[in-house]
Amino acid sequence: MFEQQLVNGFTLGLIYALIAVGYTMVYGVIELINFAHGEIYMLGAFLTLSFISTGMPLALAVVLAMLAVAAIGVLLDVIAYRPLREAPRLAALITAIGMSIFLQNLAMIIWGSRPLPFPRQALPAFFNEPAFTFSDVTISWMQVIIYVVALLLMVALNLIITKTRIGTAMRALAQNRTAAALMGINVNRVISFTFAIGSGMGAVAGVMVSMYYNTMYPTMGYLAGVKAFAAAVLGGIGSVPGAMLGGVVLGIAETLGAGYISSPYRDGVAYAVMILVIIFRPSGFLGRSMVEKA
Amino acid sequence: MFGRNVKRMAVFMAALGLALGVSAGSAQAADTIKIAVPSPYTGSAAGFGENVKAGVAMKIDEVNAAGGVNGKKIEAVYLDEQCEPREAATVSSSIVNDPEIVGIVGHLCSSAHLAALPTYVREGIAAISPTATNISISDKNKDEQGKVWSFRNVYRDDFQGKFLADYIDKVMGLKKVAVFYENNDYGIGLKDAFVKEAKKLGLNVVGEEAYKKGDQDFTPQLTKLKGGAPQAMFIAGYYPEGALIADQAKKIGLNVPKFGADGFDNADYIKLGGAAADDTYLTAPFLADTAGPDAKKFIKDFKAKYNREVDWMSANAYDAAGMMVQAIAKVGPDRAKIRAYLAGMNTPEKGYKGVTGVNYFDANGDCQKPAFVKMVKDGKFVPAPKQMN
Amino acid sequence: MRGALNTLKYLIAAAALAYPLMPFRDVYVLHVLVLIMVYMVLAMGLNILPGFCGLLDLGFVGFYGIGAYTAGLLTIHYNMSFWLIVPLAALNGAFFGIMLGVPTLRLVGDYFAIVTFGFSELVVLFLTNEIWLTRGPLGVPGIAPVDINFTWLASLLGIDGRWRYAFRGEVPYYYLGMFMVLFVYILMRRLEDSRLGRAWLAIREDSMAAASCGVNLLVYKVIAFAVSAGIGAMAGSFFARWTLFISPDMFKFWESFLVLCMVVLGGLGNINGALVGAVILIALGEVLRVALPRLGLPAETRFLAYGLIMVLIMRYRPGGIFTQVAASTMQSGLIKELRAKLAARRTA
Repeated sequence: MFEQQLVNGFTLGLIYALIAVGYTMVYGVIELINFAHGEIYMLGAFLTLSFISTGMPLALAVVLAMLAVAAIGVLLDVIAYRPLREAPRLAALITAIGMSIFLQNLAMIIWGSRPLPFPRQALPAFFNEPAFTFSDVTISWMQVIIYVVALLLMVALNLIITKTRIGTAMRALAQNRTAAALMGINVNRVISFTFAIGSGMGAVAGVMVSMYYNTMYPTMGYLAGVKAFAAAVLGGIGSVPGAMLGGVVLGIAETLGAGYISSPYRDGVAYAVMILVIIFRPSGFLGRSMVEKA
Repeated sequence: MFGRNVKRMAVFMAALGLALGVSAGSAQAADTIKIAVPSPYTGSAAGFGENVKAGVAMKIDEVNAAGGVNGKKIEAVYLDEQCEPREAATVSSSIVNDPEIVGIVGHLCSSAHLAALPTYVREGIAAISPTATNISISDKNKDEQGKVWSFRNVYRDDFQGKFLADYIDKVMGLKKVAVFYENNDYGIGLKDAFVKEAKKLGLNVVGEEAYKKGDQDFTPQLTKLKGGAPQAMFIAGYYPEGALIADQAKKIGLNVPKFGADGFDNADYIKLGGAAADDTYLTAPFLADTAGPDAKKFIKDFKAKYNREVDWMSANAYDAAGMMVQAIAKVGPDRAKIRAYLAGMNTPEKGYKGVTGVNYFDANGDCQKPAFVKMVKDGKFVPAPKQMN
Repeated sequence: MRGALNTLKYLIAAAALAYPLMPFRDVYVLHVLVLIMVYMVLAMGLNILPGFCGLLDLGFVGFYGIGAYTAGLLTIHYNMSFWLIVPLAALNGAFFGIMLGVPTLRLVGDYFAIVTFGFSELVVLFLTNEIWLTRGPLGVPGIAPVDINFTWLASLLGIDGRWRYAFRGEVPYYYLGMFMVLFVYILMRRLEDSRLGRAWLAIREDSMAAASCGVNLLVYKVIAFAVSAGIGAMAGSFFARWTLFISPDMFKFWESFLVLCMVVLGGLGNINGALVGAVILIALGEVLRVALPRLGLPAETRFLAYGLIMVLIMRYRPGGIFTQVAASTMQSGLIKELRAKLAARRTA
């Protein structure tokens, strides 16, 4: 039973990690807690649904949704956050909250407020079959797919950040935006790129969650967003590997907390872990890493 | 500097006063009679609000198509309260404030209903809730003279919880049951009543776990419940989470019959749960197959109008609106008289024969209704082979 | 000009005082106005942290909830008078503020914000799950309304009689709320101008400089936190005895956001701004609720418009409706002189 809880917690944690990466990257470059990120994740799920309902194959629908959501992320930045770049920081935070309300209600108008199932016929039948069974631990193919996709995306992301020119520019921006601009970096382009990548990863998380749990609804972004935000903080906000680690730790802590301590306090375990980590290690697990602002 | 602030403030206050004034003064149209339908139409409970709206709208449309009440049209005013108690309190004051509104069908959530009740009782307007099941409502709905202002045509939580425990023990003959409840008024009310009855019957409750509205991952709790090797699982909550629980229970190999209350009575349960929804038993106010001609017609019309299966919320809302319309027809558009009329529906003979059976109220405004058991078999709701009586 | 504006101010005040006594008064408008007053107090309370001290607090609703439950439970179980409950609730709020503040106020920047956020979520979880104490999600119904009871005085004087007035309807709450807003407003004005307030502003502007001038950062921050929490709890106790029903749902994270939005929209650190922010955000919700259906738009568009308007206000007034600088600062002779000098130099 313990091993099974661990496996399930790990799966949940990887999903948190994928969402948390979006928070942490945006925070890294513009120091904004992008509260609309939960809605980005929700849009990923719903757009995939809409694309599938036009008869597209699953893979194409997911890729298209990812691109569309990345575009929405960029648009969000350009329309809402860019004009506030030099304004007090809280102005951008309030804007993010406003956009979150806006997007959530927009989704409610477009797709209705009842929970929708993920179209099963679009999924290969083996997805929900167990892939491996060791004694009493079962891992389904869906879980395997989540592991593979999440890990691939994170490796790719780390490569982008550490090895490419634009990644270097992102890191430069995180350290000092003015200096980066003086070095000839097109600041707005880099920020747009950051939003695109973060939103794309959020969209993938949204699709995988709606496939895994077979449901989606317009308010799903709120709780997932809050948890992912906690994960980003746990790992050290601004740090990409930190977000991944934070997500996994939070997922496992929550699952074990619900399984062994008290299920009504399930979310409380997550917050308590977060508060304790911050008090004793104020910059999170990996807070001093590359995308952290000095 | 300060002067400018004051000026701005003055302009602002004037604008606000104007806006509130405009919103308050409503046109006096004497050819319609209004009833308020406060429910969540946005926010996370909006899906349920849609069900209530569908039921009420259908009744009102039918009444108006047949010429209305005493030559006047009935108009339903749908007010959004998001299932939030604070919003409900605000909405309640806007309802009592509109003299054209003579009665209320709502609220959907018990907590919203409890928050709105003090206003209704104080200002004197009767409400029929088609869905609020919390037992506290029964003793908070009276004014100083002991007049009941809030009625409901839905069973209370304690009735259903007890009913299901009896059903599992006596009819199904299962002895070990796990309880999984939503951590809100509905889930806790059901769970408490269920566990109390289970203790009395000697039914072994092998685990009680909680979840929260909007949760998607239930595997930790299910894994723990599975450890108790139950023969049945009682899920005290609503269908969106219930379907996910059924699905995840199946995935982790917890293949036992599932039991739910009326919160499961929605075709979306099967849509969301897929094959895992099979072998679920639930209480319902009526059974499609054995229902009378009125109910059969309602089920057919509902499907034709909304292109989905009817659910218990819509059915109860349809009847609640029907009662309100009947009261208006009998005593005219007068708040106090409507209340007295509703309070007078206190025996089955004086009750209202609706699609959910005979609706009548006891001294606390609660209803007595038969409960039936439905089950999911091969992706469809069918009557359970064995009923309680 | 100044005189005319002052007259206008008094006219508005007189109108506000007289409104509930007018024959055309309206229960709904009164209810909304009382709600606005509750949020005015909350906004003024929160304003101390991000406005005066530069600390981002995302968990303010936790103290509001603590106050409301303290009041609700004391009323239900001990039938305690409202006038005793308010200070008790405020003290309880301040107590939790100190308990949370001491270990966490050393944290810098957004980490502090996040801890407060976690705290408020824990408060809601506690209220939801400790059913033996709070009745959990069932909420606490049937809280007695506020009353003014001088029966004890009557019996003390040997007069037979029940000198008791129980609040009923919105009107008495309207005046009580007005009194509460006025009380907190004056308190804030006094605090802003006090030694304490100046220390807070110094911390906001440059904590390093403040520390080197001998301001004990932690002590002043903890005081700020306690005062803010106490005011939040006070608003909560009023709220509980006004709506007569409380449940954990009322104190979710979203409320913290709403109050923070009021403070920022009004103008961070500006007391008048906090008042105006409360008016705008509550009134906006109600105006949209009434206006949109008349335009034939569905209910969902209400929050669509709400979110959009918030974004637009920030877009065009990123500093909030009122300037960030405290009005009292602008009235100081020294600052006035300095500004005049600067303006002269700029034009020269």
